[in-house]
Amino acid sequence: MLEYVYILPLLSFAVAGLILAFGRWLPLKGASAGILVAAWGFSQGLMLFVKAIQGTITLPYEMSIPWFSFGGNQATLGVYVDGLTIAMLIVVTAVSLLVQIYSTGYMHGDPRFKRFYCYLSLFTASMLGVTLTNNMMVFFMCWELVGVCSYLLIGFWFEKQSAAYAGKKAFITTKLGDLGFLVGLMVLFYAAGTFEISKILELAHKGAIPALAAGIAGILMFMGAAGKSAQFPLFIWLPDAMEGPSPVSALIHAATMVAAGVYMVARLYAVYALSPMAMNTVAWTGAITAFMAASLALTCFDLKRVLAFSTVSQLGYMMLALGVGGFTAGMFHLTTHAYFKALLFLAAGSVIHAVHTNDMREMGGLRHKMPITYITFLLGTLALCGIPPFAGYFSKDEVLAAALARNPVLFAIGAMAAAMTAFYMARALVMTFHGKPKDAHKHDHAHESPAVMTGPLILLAAVSVVSGFVLTRHEMFEHLVNFEGALPFELHHVNHSAVALFSSIVAALSMSLGIWLYKARPDIPAACRETFSPIVNMLEKRYWLDAFFLKLVDIGDSMSRFMFSFDFNFLDQLAIDGWAWLTLKLSKIQGWIDDHVVDAALNATGTITMSAGRMARLAQTGLVQNYLLFVAIAVSIFAAIAFAG
Amino acid sequence: MSLLSLIVVTPLIGALLILAIPGTRTKLIQGVALVFSALCLLLTGYLYAAFDKTVVMMQFVEKFSWIPAFNINYCVGVDGLSVALVTLTGLLTMLAIIYSFNITVRVKEFFFWFLLLEVGMLGVFVALDFFLFYVFWELTLVPMYFLIGVWGGPKKEYAAIKFFLYTLFGSLLMLLGILALYFNSMPHTFDMLELIKQGSLLPRAMQIWIFLALYVGFAIKIPAFPFHTWLPLAHVEAPTGVSVILAGVLLKMGTYGIMRFSFPALPQATKWFMPFLIVIAIINIVYGAFCAMAQKDLKKMVAYSSVNHMGYCMLGMTAMSGIGWNGAVLQMITHGLITGSLFFLVGVIYDRAHTRDIDAFGGLAAKFPVYAGLMIIQVMASLGLPGLAGFVGEFLCFLGAFNVWPYYVAVGTIGILVTAAFFLRMIEKVFLGPFNEKWAALKDIGFREMVAIVPLVILTVVIGVWPKFCLDLIDPTITYLVAMIK
Repeated sequence: MLEYVYILPLLSFAVAGLILAFGRWLPLKGASAGILVAAWGFSQGLMLFVKAIQGTITLPYEMSIPWFSFGGNQATLGVYVDGLTIAMLIVVTAVSLLVQIYSTGYMHGDPRFKRFYCYLSLFTASMLGVTLTNNMMVFFMCWELVGVCSYLLIGFWFEKQSAAYAGKKAFITTKLGDLGFLVGLMVLFYAAGTFEISKILELAHKGAIPALAAGIAGILMFMGAAGKSAQFPLFIWLPDAMEGPSPVSALIHAATMVAAGVYMVARLYAVYALSPMAMNTVAWTGAITAFMAASLALTCFDLKRVLAFSTVSQLGYMMLALGVGGFTAGMFHLTTHAYFKALLFLAAGSVIHAVHTNDMREMGGLRHKMPITYITFLLGTLALCGIPPFAGYFSKDEVLAAALARNPVLFAIGAMAAAMTAFYMARALVMTFHGKPKDAHKHDHAHESPAVMTGPLILLAAVSVVSGFVLTRHEMFEHLVNFEGALPFELHHVNHSAVALFSSIVAALSMSLGIWLYKARPDIPAACRETFSPIVNMLEKRYWLDAFFLKLVDIGDSMSRFMFSFDFNFLDQLAIDGWAWLTLKLSKIQGWIDDHVVDAALNATGTITMSAGRMARLAQTGLVQNYLLFVAIAVSIFAAIAFAG
Repeated sequence: MSLLSLIVVTPLIGALLILAIPGTRTKLIQGVALVFSALCLLLTGYLYAAFDKTVVMMQFVEKFSWIPAFNINYCVGVDGLSVALVTLTGLLTMLAIIYSFNITVRVKEFFFWFLLLEVGMLGVFVALDFFLFYVFWELTLVPMYFLIGVWGGPKKEYAAIKFFLYTLFGSLLMLLGILALYFNSMPHTFDMLELIKQGSLLPRAMQIWIFLALYVGFAIKIPAFPFHTWLPLAHVEAPTGVSVILAGVLLKMGTYGIMRFSFPALPQATKWFMPFLIVIAIINIVYGAFCAMAQKDLKKMVAYSSVNHMGYCMLGMTAMSGIGWNGAVLQMITHGLITGSLFFLVGVIYDRAHTRDIDAFGGLAAKFPVYAGLMIIQVMASLGLPGLAGFVGEFLCFLGAFNVWPYYVAVGTIGILVTAAFFLRMIEKVFLGPFNEKWAALKDIGFREMVAIVPLVILTVVIGVWPKFCLDLIDPTITYLVAMIK
């Protein structure tokens, strides 16, 4: 059972290759293979869950094989399974399975249907890798692979300029966070001496990792988590990621990949728990994100973007929970959120599939046309808003209780975000399904989606209704996913029932207000848009975060142009070619000197020699008489000297 | 004759044989070039297989006296540092020859020079005598000069002469360094291993001067900032196959030289230079990436990305640890595979569209799925996507250096981001978005091109998933070398 869990990601990788290579000959162009493997994975996850609850398997379980060695260190490939892993495993496989079933309907007739399933399988494989791996190097690798799948799937309809752009934006924004992750990972490696998760956790539990190193590593790695899990200020990519097909949004940008950052913090919770600094960073970033994103959803008219902002906000909740010491609460919210948010996205996809627009201003009155979609969407909304007894009620209540135990301010921010959540979801629900159709043509053509699409909706709705209740029976979830180490701070005592009561009242009131406003008095919100136009403007500009990052890109571009101009003009043309030019000039001068000085000197020597020769030649007359005369003169001179001496 | 000598001689025989064939028989010439490069690849493959991974010392050593008057020997051998580079050279040369079958002008000379180039490159990686090393080093220069100058682009003569003079300048300084070592050794010798033993005994000032002289020679080849400006020009003008060799193999000669000789032989100078070397590595990484981002020409972009990637390699070297050096050597190999294939891929589009302007395309992915797929895989590998070959080397370089230079490394990570940015922007502009109908008549990648590119893509994936395949060869030698230097 546990011994075979490593097969899960490998099989998904293999299936991705299989679909790419042989998809056209497989039933449903390869979708069948992906679905089968996901179904098998889900069954494995469920069995593990049951056995873990029953206590028939010993956790944590670890196995690994050597991968490669580098300078005295050994990198391994392996799996590490504990309660946290199992919880995540079920989320990944369940949502992946349902999304793949749903997509056979949603993507029906798409020219790149096969490739879509190839990417989905690749994504599932990488996500399972993130979930199961036993060492942080492989974790980082799968983490990046997940990002690439996200890039490919956001830009799946790449002929659309906006989709291509959104993919790139997502990749680069998350990569920015990943720089922090990379550096943090290196800090952790040198602090712990290993990448292996079990050893890191053991050292952290023993307190053998210095708190400062743990804090720095934790905060740097959290940058990566902020990128992947769309936390402030890196969440700007997630709303744009909605350019991808809706099933992708449900799988990647609601349930699994964006939860990977939360999972990472939870995975290394023992490290984070060493440093109050790191914990506070996580908590405050989460709280700010939860609040900001919820406020952004208030003014948004794109149905999927509302859900995207909502996802960002809920991810903020999870981070908040982890940061205040609510380990179980954070992971519990991750689990329940995965189901109801996947449900909401798939239901939204069903709507978009029917009316071919994302704009809620062109919808309305769809509840009669699409009853199943409507009811499931409604159930998802209730779960998200935290209305008892739906799933979100249980998990959000735990998060808020944990926040209150740590710091009332964090609790207040969380509660405000919860109120906004209920409000914008009510707004979305009413604008989409209630009231009169805004666009008669689109409304007329709308129809309920086929069974392959509504089936997963119904299943997810069922889970969204009961999961919170079921998982809290006998503290089942807490039993599975809990943190036994010490926290770096004291917690206040909190009355859970009071928090639960308070939060459900807030949610119910806020939701009712939303429904009433948008159903009965749509003029009031419209008037509010006028009155508070500066605020609305700020929200529509997304707090100018996009502009800020675009400015960064601009600066990068200017820098690149400047550096290249320096490179070409100064280093190349001036320094190198200038030198060459100088050499040429010098050589010309030398040439001149050569011609006019050196050569001239030589020539002069020659000339002098020649003239000397010419002069000497004067004597060489060739006449014997002359020579005899010279001889006679010479003899006389020598004789004179000799005799004189 | 030992295996290594056989490997070096094989392309030489091929080259001489080509000289004997009439220039009009192009098919025959291509055949001979292919057969001899393939033979050489087989031999290097055999070398790879026969190499004993557990031995840290030189293997397949062959040594005999060459010029006894000056104690110059013919001495060759390989260890974990060089063996994979030899195989890489064999592979890339053969693939580049296959790709270059589309050369129609002066075919005979082209393949002659190409095989001669291979002789030089292989020689550099196996030579253990510094004189021999220098001879091979210079031997790569002449063929490269002609290959760029004759078969290159519009500014080929300018590029060729610049390349030639620039690298010649470096080699001359290197020669000075070599001679200084020679005259300071007792008895006078060019034997690298002997010089490594004796070099560390030299006084510090002497070491520093020698290091500097050698470094300039190597740095120009790498190319390290600020000696890199010949590279973009040479790449843009060189024909595709030559670019592949230039980026894939020639650049590695620089880093190889430093790791093979400068660091082990001159430890005090190494220590003294280290603060400069790390700064240069970081400049290469960040500055190279930014320069690449400013490019409109696809080939120039890939060329500047080489500056960036060789920066990773230098970063790994400056770690002076087993982790960093493993990363540096692996990075040399993977950069050869990845950037080599990227130059092929750029060549494919240039051969069809006769432009490399990034802005001139658009939406090609819809029309050329195979080409786009290969390009995207290799680009992802180049920007360090895990699961592909680039990641492991890059990661180890950073990890190794982080222990010594944490702040520099943190700055260096910006290079990763910028690399991702310019490559993704390129993909977006060339392959995504609406299809540019101007290119409707183009054909997807052809058979010859696939033969040249696909092996590299496969290796990129294989090494990415199973780096042991390379690292097992490298690690023991590197661990030994690093321990020795320390």
